[in-house]
Amino acid sequence: MSDTAVIYEQKHVPQPRQVGKPGGFLHRTNFVTAVVSGIVLAAIFYFITGAIVQKVTGGGQQNNLSLPDGLQQQITMMYIGWIIGFMAGIGAFAGPIRWMLGHDLTHADAEYMSGKDMGRKKFWKYTTDHKVVGIQYLIVALILFGLGGLLAMLIRTELGVTWAEVFNPNFYNSLIGTHGIVMIIAMIIAVTGPLGNFIVPIMCGARDMAFPRLNALSLWLLVAAIPPLVSNLLMGGIRDGWTVYQPLADQAPVGMIGYQICIIVFAFSTGIASVNLITTVVTMRARGMTWSRVPIFVYGVVGSSIMGLIWFPMFQYSQILALSDRMLQTSFYTPASGGSVWLYENLFWLLGHPEVYVIVIPATAALLEIMPVFLRKPLFSYKLAIAGIFGIVGLSAVVWVHHMYMTGWAPSSNYPFMMSTEMISIPFSFLLLVMLGTMWRGKPWMKLPMMAVYAVIWNKVIGGITGVYLSDTPVDQYMHGSMFVVAHFHFMLMGAGLFGAMGAIAYWFPKMTNRYLDELIGAIGFWTAFVGFQVTFFAMFVAGLQGMPRRVLQFDQAFNIANWISTIGAYVIGIGMLIFLYAMITSWRSGKLAPGNPWGAHTLEAQTETPVPHENFPVLPVVTSDPYGFGVPDPYELLDSAELQAKEGVSKVGAS
Amino acid sequence: MSTVDERTPEAEEPENPTNRPAGMHLVSRWMNRPYARRIILLTVIISAVIIALTFVMVAFMNLSGGPASDIQGEIEKTMYVLTFTCAPLMGFTLAIITYSWWGGWGKVKSEEEPTEEGPAIRTNGVAVVAWITVCSLLAAFLVIWGLVELATITASSYGSVAANQQPNSAKAIDINVTGQQWLWSFEYPDQGKITSSELVVPVNVPLYFNVTSLDVIHSFWVVEAGVKIDVNPGAITNTGFTPNKLGTFNIRCAELCGLHHAYMETNLRVVTQEQFESWVREQGGARTS
Ligand code: HEM
Ligand SMILES: [Cu+2]
Ligand SMILES: [Cu+2]
Repeated sequence: MSDTAVIYEQKHVPQPRQVGKPGGFLHRTNFVTAVVSGIVLAAIFYFITGAIVQKVTGGGQQNNLSLPDGLQQQITMMYIGWIIGFMAGIGAFAGPIRWMLGHDLTHADAEYMSGKDMGRKKFWKYTTDHKVVGIQYLIVALILFGLGGLLAMLIRTELGVTWAEVFNPNFYNSLIGTHGIVMIIAMIIAVTGPLGNFIVPIMCGARDMAFPRLNALSLWLLVAAIPPLVSNLLMGGIRDGWTVYQPLADQAPVGMIGYQICIIVFAFSTGIASVNLITTVVTMRARGMTWSRVPIFVYGVVGSSIMGLIWFPMFQYSQILALSDRMLQTSFYTPASGGSVWLYENLFWLLGHPEVYVIVIPATAALLEIMPVFLRKPLFSYKLAIAGIFGIVGLSAVVWVHHMYMTGWAPSSNYPFMMSTEMISIPFSFLLLVMLGTMWRGKPWMKLPMMAVYAVIWNKVIGGITGVYLSDTPVDQYMHGSMFVVAHFHFMLMGAGLFGAMGAIAYWFPKMTNRYLDELIGAIGFWTAFVGFQVTFFAMFVAGLQGMPRRVLQFDQAFNIANWISTIGAYVIGIGMLIFLYAMITSWRSGKLAPGNPWGAHTLEAQTETPVPHENFPVLPVVTSDPYGFGVPDPYELLDSAELQAKEGVSKVGAS
Repeated sequence: MSTVDERTPEAEEPENPTNRPAGMHLVSRWMNRPYARRIILLTVIISAVIIALTFVMVAFMNLSGGPASDIQGEIEKTMYVLTFTCAPLMGFTLAIITYSWWGGWGKVKSEEEPTEEGPAIRTNGVAVVAWITVCSLLAAFLVIWGLVELATITASSYGSVAANQQPNSAKAIDINVTGQQWLWSFEYPDQGKITSSELVVPVNVPLYFNVTSLDVIHSFWVVEAGVKIDVNPGAITNTGFTPNKLGTFNIRCAELCGLHHAYMETNLRVVTQEQFESWVREQGGARTS
C-alpha cells in the first residue's frame, strides 16, 4: 500500500500542530485596526502614485475634465489602498498567510475565529460564526437604509420646494445617484444578509455555513466597499443617477471612481456570499431534508443567490470597463473612438433587471414562510411556489432590454423582449396563487409579520399592474424616463422588498436577539410608513402621468401639487421608519424575552432553543416531513363526503 | 372549489340534483358557502374601481392638451385594454386580502394565541389548473395586443417595419434633431436648412426625425404626441409622428444629461400649413414642399 493515505480509526486522526495562541494574529485585529490600516495604506498609495505621476508627466498638465493630471490615478490607487489596507487590518489575510507558513488551522483556531466565548467583541471582528455575520449584516443594512433614507428626505425636500433650487443641481444629481445605489445595495443585502446567514443554516439543520471564513470575507468586503461609495459626495459627486450611464459618467469628477470601486468590490462580496449560501443549502441539509421538505424561504434565498452569482459579474465588468475608459483612455464606451454607449446600457441592465428579483424573491419567500405559521394552515401548493421562484430566476435572464426600449439601440428587439417581459408575469402569478391559497379560509393571527403580508400583497398588485403598463412598449414610450417609472419601481423595491423585509425581520427578531419586537410600537411605525408610502408614490404616479421627467429638480408648475403631496408623504415615511427603528432598538435592548419557538412554527430554526447555542443544535436534527403540516381535516370536505354518503344511502334505500 | 367566472345565475335556484350535471351541483354547493358571494361581490366592486381609475389616469395624461397624435391615442387605448385585462385578477386578489384582513374567515387578535388550526388544504388541482390557464391566457392576450400595437405605432412613426427605417410617406417632413448639453435644435433640411430651437410643424403632415447628440445621452420626448427616442452620441436614431391637433405642446429631455437637465425643454408648436410656410420664410428658409 502506498503511504499517501492511511486509514485510521476515528479516534486516532492526527490533528495539525497548534502554533501559538489559537487564532494567532487575529487576536490583534478588529474594526478599529482595519480602519486605521485602511487609511494608512490609502494615504501611502495616494502619495506614491502622486510622485510617480509627477515623474512621468513633469506635472502641470490639465486634462479635458480640468482636473489636475494624475488626480484620477491617485484617487483610484487611494481607494485600492483603502480596500487592501482595510482587509489586511481586519485580518482577512491572516488565515492564508498562516497556512502558507505551514500553520494548519486547528480546531482551537476555528473556535477562536467563530467567536466562541468572546462576548460582544466578536461583532467587531473577522468572526466566522454565521449568527454573528447575520447580525453584522443587519447592522450594515440598517446603516445603509438610514443613509439612503436621509438622502431621500433631501431629494424630496428639493422637489417639494418648487419655488427655488435648494441645492446646486450637480449636488442634487449626486444625491439621487447616491440615494439610488445605496438603497439598492441595502435592499440586496437586507434579507439574504441577515436572514440568509443567520436563519438559513439553522433552517437547514447545519452547524454553520459551508465556508465560514468566506462568510466573514463577504461581509467585510461589503463593509470595505461602502466608504468609497459614500465619499463620492465629498469628491464632486456622481451626478448621474444610480445607473451612471456613459458618457455622462465620464464627465463626472473623481467621485465616480468611488462608485466604480465600490461596485467592483461589492460584486465580489455578493458572489462569495452566493456561492456560500448555495453550497450550504445543497450540501449541509439535515438528514431527511429532501428537496421536497426544504422550507420555501431557503428556496427563495437560493434562487436569489443564483441570480446574483450569474448576473453580478456583468455589472462588475461594466464598471471595470468604465474605470478603464477613464483611467487608461480605452474607448469601450466612447463613440468617437469606436465605442458604444449601448454596450454600457446592456451590461448594466443584464444585472440591473435580475437584481430587482434578487431583492424581491427572498422577501416574498420569507412571507411565504410566515403565512402558514400565522394562518395555521399548510402552504398552498408548495411545489407551485418552487416552480414560480425558478420560473422567475430563469426568465429574469431574458428581459433586460425592457429598460432599453426607447434607446433606439435595436428597435426590432423590442418585440421579443416585450414578449418575455410579459411572460414573466406567469411565474409571478404562481406565487400570487400560493399566497392567496394559503390565506384562503385561514384565520389570520394579526401580528406584525402577518400585517406585512397584507401590506406587501397590496403593494405588489400596484407594482405589478404598473409593471404591465411599462412592459408594453407603446405605453412605455410615454412612461419611460418619467416619474411613473420611479413610482413603479418603488412599489416593487420598497413596497414589496422593504416592507417584506420588515415583516421578515419582525418574524425572526426573537430568534436573532432573544427578544420580541415590540408589537405596538413596531406596528405604529410600520403603518405610518405604509400610509406615507402610499401618499408619496401615488402622487408620484400622477406627476409621471402628467409628463414629469425623473431626475429633475425644477419643473413645470403643472406638477407642483403632486410634488407637494409626495413630499409630505415622504416625511411621513421618515417618521414611520424612525418609530420602527426605535421599536427595534428598544426591543433589542430590553424587549420581552422570547421562547425558542415564539410563533409555533415547524421549521428547524424554531426547534432549537433561543439564544441559539454555539453550534446551533446540541444534536443534529433529523427531518421527517416538510414544515407545513398545519391544519385539521377540511370541514367542508368532511361535510361534502358525509352528505354524499348520506345521499347514496338514501338512493340505495329508494332502490331497494 | 371553483373560480369566480363559473358563477351562474342558476346557482341561486333550489337544488335539483337529478336533472343537472354533477359539476354544476358542485358549483352551486360552493356558492352556498358563506364567503363565496361576498368575495365575488368584493371582486366586482374592486375591479370596477380599478377600471374607473384608468379613466382618471388617462385624464391626467391629457391634462396638458393631448393627445396630439395618433400614437398617443393608441397609447391611451392600450392603457385601457391592459387595465381591463388585469382588473379581474387584481380585483380578486385585493378582495381576498380585504376579506381575510376584515376577519371574514375569523381572526385571532394580536394579544391572543391561536388555539385552533385552519383547514389542511395542501393544494387543489382544479384551482391550480384554472388559475394557471387563466393567467397564461391573459398574459398571451397582453403579448399579442402589445405586439400588434407596437407594429401599429411603429408604422405610424416610420413606415411599416422599424428596421428598414424609411419615412412613412414621401411627403414627410424630415427634421434633424440635435441634443446637446442642455438645449435642443431642429434643422429642416428640405426647407433650406433653417434651424430653430422650437419645433414648429404643420398639422396633419407626417414628420420624420433623425436624432443625434453632440455629447451625452439625452432623450427626445414629445410629451403630448407620445413620442420618445434616446438621443445618442455617435449614432442616429429615428422616430416620427403626424401631429393631429393645433396648439403648443411640451418637449422635454427624459434622460439625465448633467447639470441643467431639468431645464432642457422646449415647445412643439403645431400650426396650419400656411402659418408654417410663413414661419419658414421668416426664418429665411427656401422651399417648403
Ligand atoms: C410584473 C413584473 C414587472 C414588470 C412587468 C416590470 C416592468 C418594468 C419595465 C418595463 C421597466 C422599464 C421602464 C422604463 O424604464 O421605461 C421597469 C423598470 C423598473 N422596474 Fe419593473 N417590472 C416588474 C417588476 C419589478 C420588480 C419586482 C422590481 C423590483 C423589485 C422592479 C423594479 C424596477 C426598477 C428598479 C425599474 C427602473 C429602473 C430605472 O429605470 O432606473 N420591477 N419595470
Ligand atoms: Cu426590468
Ligand atoms: Cu437631459
